[in-house]
Order: sequence, then structure tokens, then C-alpha cells
Amino acid sequence: MSETGVLDAIGRTERRAALRCEGITKAFQGVHAVNGATFDVPEGQLTALIGPNGAGKTTVVNILSGAMTCDSGRAFIGETEITNRPSYKIARLGLLRTFQLSRELGELTVLENLLVSPADQAGESLVNVLLRPGLIRRQEREYAERALQLLDVYGLYEQRDSRARELSGGQKKLLEIARAVMASPEILLLDEPMAGVNPALIDLIGEHILDLKRSGVTVLMIEHNLNVVEKICDYVIVLAEGRTLATGRLSDLRENADVVKAYLGEVIDAGAAR
Amino acid sequence: MVYYVFTLVFFCFDYFILAMGLNIQYGETGILNFAYIGFVAIGAYFTGVFSLHSAGNSGQHYILGLGLPFPLNLLLGGLAAMCFAFVVALITLRRLRTDYLAIVLISLSLVLYDFCNNYVSLFNGADGLYNVPEPFAKPFGLTVNSFIPFFACVTAAVSLLMWFVMSRVMRAPLGRTFRAIRDDHVVAAALGKNVFRMQLKSMLIGSFYAGVGGGLLIQFGGSFNPTAWLPGETFVVFAVLIVGGAGNNIGMFVGALLVETLLIHLPAFLPEIPGHPGLIEYFDNAVVGVVLMLVLWFRPQGVVPARLPRTASFGVTERLAVAPLEPAALDPQ
Repeated sequence: MSETGVLDAIGRTERRAALRCEGITKAFQGVHAVNGATFDVPEGQLTALIGPNGAGKTTVVNILSGAMTCDSGRAFIGETEITNRPSYKIARLGLLRTFQLSRELGELTVLENLLVSPADQAGESLVNVLLRPGLIRRQEREYAERALQLLDVYGLYEQRDSRARELSGGQKKLLEIARAVMASPEILLLDEPMAGVNPALIDLIGEHILDLKRSGVTVLMIEHNLNVVEKICDYVIVLAEGRTLATGRLSDLRENADVVKAYLGEVIDAGAAR
Repeated sequence: MVYYVFTLVFFCFDYFILAMGLNIQYGETGILNFAYIGFVAIGAYFTGVFSLHSAGNSGQHYILGLGLPFPLNLLLGGLAAMCFAFVVALITLRRLRTDYLAIVLISLSLVLYDFCNNYVSLFNGADGLYNVPEPFAKPFGLTVNSFIPFFACVTAAVSLLMWFVMSRVMRAPLGRTFRAIRDDHVVAAALGKNVFRMQLKSMLIGSFYAGVGGGLLIQFGGSFNPTAWLPGETFVVFAVLIVGGAGNNIGMFVGALLVETLLIHLPAFLPEIPGHPGLIEYFDNAVVGVVLMLVLWFRPQGVVPARLPRTASFGVTERLAVAPLEPAALDPQ
């Protein structure tokens, strides 16, 4: 187990790890994007993954979600090892993700984007399509009702029949979260969910993420906006140069000289310059 | 005159089937299958050799020769194309996507063409298969001329049945997952979809349609040889798809009517240009090319664009059905 795990920082008996990373490495043509990242994500909590640009945050999320393989190290969901498993298998274990740049299914309607999400739909079998149309109709109605409720919650109900590519940037961010929620995740990896959205929408997205946490979903969120991190996140993992630099609560990390030097100082300086 | 009209009717419905098969692969799933005509040929050849009796002293060389009746031979021809697609998909779809997949598939089409053209004992080489029995000709006492309208009607009936099935597939979650993979396979995989398995399903369904379309071709003409499936013929089916409107089965019918029937086959029945016998037939591909460019420029979505499914089509009443979401509704199931 990691020496820098969040669970160690908060006391191991308090919560078990929903997601674990042990010494993950990944190099691109000799350049180490991730270089031994080790951390735990506590179950049912909202954890932020922060760090300077190029720290390897998105690469870690890509590896954990199966979009990318790692060179060495291991990853676990609970006690199940997921190292280098294909992403569809990881998704079926309950780990869903969003992307740094919104990746909506552009030619599908907003409602269809959500309807794609549930796993193992009866209507994805050719035999059922040909022989059991009644079963498919019933399941479609159930999923559509749930999807419309989610669209209502996420403020996208009016756009339900529009092509997803016609949404604004902020709406696409909301759609991505709603689409992941539709798959009933146990763990949600959010890659900069508030990047490029207006301040009012940042608050709204923050509320939705808190709602998810309240309903028992474990959330790991890459975020640069430290105000948001401080406001909604329980714990923070700091990555720098592909390694876990520190973990804990943000208020404690502000006192950590390494973290201030590697990241917080940079952010504070940038804030002062603005 | 009846002969001409029903020949056009046959080609319209046959290309309707071919276009539906390509549409599920390319229009719905995004698989750029430039070897499509190869699957049509496999279907045609196998329907032929399932239908023909043993080669014996007929002067032809071919495998099987089982003498099976229509439509069993047609069904098996479609299944043969599916089996071929299964092998091709196992080799190509796991590792290749988009342009690279297209390059490998067009190469495969060329290899298959040369193989069938030169390996005579398979499907009679460059001469191809001929004297393939006309379905129902004996029991119904059909003559050469009465067979054409009869078989055009059979083809229309087969195509309508296949349209019904394809519409059901496209409206089902299966079709929606195909479209999700077309739009972004990384997202589809991140949502738990086994992209390879889904693409394989799409390839198999589309290839069955290609095989049946090819089988109907050999049954209609009684013969089939390599000049009928030059690798460039794939692009005629693509033209049907693009002109008609990818993603819409009605569009496939309109595309087949406009491109295959009116632009490619109708000119063969037009009066000759004085002093230039046979010239008019050589214009067809040029005209198809021009029409394709015009459609891509002025109406890229095709003559009959894909329709978006509305909320009501999922069996829910709008707004009234939406109750406020309780926090518990967000719980993982």
C-alpha cells in the first residue's frame, strides 16, 4: 500500500479505498508522463487530483479508465485488479469517466446520448431485436423515463431532441456528466469538468458533483480551480512530474512546502498576476 | 418494353438491398468497407454453386455444385458472405480503424478479385459461372421473358422483408450503439460497449445483405463473372448511399433509384448517339461522379437525410412523464 495514500493521511480505518494506484508508470517515447504514481481514492468521497500542467493527471485517468495501458504498476477497483484491462470491462465494473475536452456523441440526440449508457441492454442483442421486440420496448421506456429525469436535473430537458453537437460548451460538460450518471457508476472520474465554463455554471456543476457524492458515488476529479477544490472536495492528491507529491486536505497541503513550490505557488502567482 | 422496365425494377431493389448492407456498416457504424463488392461477389458465387448441379461435363469448373433450390441457395450465399466477413473482421477490426482499415480492405478486395479470376477450379476463373438455374422457372412454366418480371417482383419482396428487418435493427438500441461507435469509439468503450464485438455484428449483418444482393444478381442474370465485380463497383454502392442519404433506409431506396437505375442502367436502354455506337454506356460512371460531387457540395446529408428519433418514439409521453428526480434516483443500481 502507498505511503502517500489518502487513506494513510486520514487514518486507514475510516474508509476503504474504492480505487487504488500502485506505482503506475507510463512513458511516451522515453518521456515519463507518469512515473510511479501511487494513491488511494476513498470510497464515497470527493477527491481532487491536482498538479501543474504535464504532471500526468489526464494520463493517470486514461490508464485507470482503460483508455491507455501503463508500462508498469497496478490499479485496483476495490480488491479487483484492473491493470491494463480494456475500458469497456472497467466501465462494466462501475468506473465511468468524462473527458477533458467534451466528447459528446455529436450526431445522436441529447436523449440518445444518455440512452447509450446503460450496460447490457436487451436491445443490443440481434436475437432480441428480431424475436423479443416487446421486451426491448419496455426496457427502452424505462431507460427513456430515467434519462428524461436526469436531463431535467441537469437542465438539458429542452434540448433532448437536438443533436448533441449543437449544445454549448457548458451544456456538453453537463451532458457528459449526465451520460456517465445514466450508467449508474460507483466510481466517477471527471477530467476538468469545469474547464472553460462560465462562473454560474461552475457552481451548478459543483452542486451536481456534490449530489453524486451524497448519493454514494466515489468521485475523483481533476481540477485546476482551487476555490472549487476547497469548496467541494474532501481530499486532494497532488501529482508532480508523474509522481504523487502529497495527499490530504487542501488546507493542510497549503502548509506543505513541496506542494507550494511545485503547484500552489504557481497558481497563487498566476492569480496575483491576474 | 416490359423487359426493360422490370430489369430496371430488379436493379433498383437489388441495389436497395446492397445499399442497406453498406449503410449499416458505414452509415451507422463508420466502418469504411472498401471491399464491399467482394462480399457481394462471394454471395453471388456461392448462391451459384449451391444452385448449380455438379460441374461434370458442363465445361465449367467450380466447387460444391449442390443443386439446392431457391431460396435456400440464396440464404446460404448470404451466410457464406457472413462467414467471409467474420474472418476479415477478426483480422482487421481489432487493430485497424478509419483510413488504415479502408486501405487494407481495398487491398483485400483486389487480392480476392485476382484469386477468383485466376484460380479456375474455384468459380470457373475469368469465365465465371453461367447457366445457373432460374428459380421457379420449371414449376411455374416461366419463359425467358416472363422470368424477368417474375424475378423482379421476387427481388422486390425480398428487399421489403430485408428493409423491415433492417429498420428494426436501426431503431433498436443495437443501431444506437452502432451510431455511438461511429461518432466516437473511445466514448462508446468508456460507456462499457465492446466496440470490436459491435463492429463485428455490424460487419456480419451488412455482409449478409451484400451476399443476398449478390445472390439475387446471379439468379436474375443466370451468370456472374469477374467483370461484374471490378473493385471499383464498391464505389457505385457508396454513391447510392451518399446520394440517397446515409443513415436512412428510404434514402437507400431513393439512392438506388437515382444512381443505379436512372444513371447506370437506364442509359443502356436509350437510343444510340448517331455515329458513336455504344458511347452512351460509357458515360455512366462520369455522370455518377458528377452527381456525387453535386450532392456532396449542395446536399451532403443526401436526398433523404437521416431522421433523428424524437422523445415520443421511445414510448414515453413528454414532460408529463417526467417526475422531479429524488436524490435517491441518482443512486447506483
